[in-house]
Amino acid sequence: MSKPALISLNQALKKSFQSLENNQKVWSSVLADCSPLMVSLGNLAEQSRALSNVQISNTPLRDFPELEERLRFKLLQATDTVLGKLNEKMSSLQSVRDSISNQVFAVFQHYEQNTDSLDLLTVTERSATAPSVSDMLEWLQDAERHYRQQFLRRKTLLQTLRADDLSLLELAPKRWKSWESPSAEDHIKDTLCKVSFFIESQ
Amino acid sequence: LYNLQRPNNSSNSPKSNRKIKDNAADWHNLMLRWEKLNEDGFTAAGNITAITLTRSVTQSGGAAELQEECCKLQDVVHKMVAVVTKMERLMTSQRGVQDLEEFQFGPEGRTVPLFHSWSTKHFNEACGLLLASFQQELRLKQMILQEVGHTVTSDLCMVYLSCWLQQPFLPPPDQTHTGGSMLTFSLFTICG
Repeated sequence: MSKPALISLNQALKKSFQSLENNQKVWSSVLADCSPLMVSLGNLAEQSRALSNVQISNTPLRDFPELEERLRFKLLQATDTVLGKLNEKMSSLQSVRDSISNQVFAVFQHYEQNTDSLDLLTVTERSATAPSVSDMLEWLQDAERHYRQQFLRRKTLLQTLRADDLSLLELAPKRWKSWESPSAEDHIKDTLCKVSFFIESQ
Repeated sequence: LYNLQRPNNSSNSPKSNRKIKDNAADWHNLMLRWEKLNEDGFTAAGNITAITLTRSVTQSGGAAELQEECCKLQDVVHKMVAVVTKMERLMTSQRGVQDLEEFQFGPEGRTVPLFHSWSTKHFNEACGLLLASFQQELRLKQMILQEVGHTVTSDLCMVYLSCWLQQPFLPPPDQTHTGGSMLTFSLFTICG
């Protein structure tokens, strides 16, 4: 077995996990920012729905000129603003996804370039301070898949939303929340725990 | 050459420049105060709605709580009346400055506007529109105060709350100042 190939692969793996750790923090923080925005979206949808259900001319509000149009305009504007902010957040999430995908792709490329010098024994060998190469590659792949799927789902949802499409707006907050996956997040945190010695070692 | 743009008279004085700058600052502060009152009012109105829709007013404590929240809302509206009154006074004072200028310089006003392209006349026109919006919005708030305690349909309650919060008659908020308008923002960039 080739020591240099193993050493450089280990270096690549360390770099990937460090990057994963940073990215995971950014992802969590950005996703947390999205929660109040989704709440706002739901509130605005509720207000718009109520306005649609009410016959203004049957209420004391009838005496105010163009009230319905003005209120609707304000609600549309506010909704647009929130959607804009959510899109900004999506850009940040996309950067995280891209960063992780690129890292993992690079590591796998590195591995594939060296498969001649890395036999099965080497890649499955684990120690007290380092998991096996094959395990680590698998964990990285799991993490990459998780963020890729999460991004795709959330991005797709946001792309369907329009400020004037009430029913989709009403459903959005619940759907957004349904994709919370604490178990996948925990798995990634576990992974980072398991590789913590490895990352710090020489 | 240097004196061409500085008419030699007392009304191009720092004193009247400062008066308009002060007015602009006053408008801005009044609008900030209004925004704070709006938030307080929304909380009270929301509570009133919650009590009337979800709990029986005859339940013990329900009536007293409702009364308390209605008082809070009434207090907010009174304070909003005070804000609009101050705006009306500002407007009067500004129109006074404009009348004085027109008297001194003719209907064209100053040969050199006080602030780059803004003349007193333009400033007053913009403030006049703003005042009219606030007066209309205040009327809406007063109506909401009257109705919100006895509205029993949840959709209409939500519309009242929405009207309160979204302020349909006020110009859209400027990106950089909550509750402000493009008017005050440009005033401040011009006045410095």
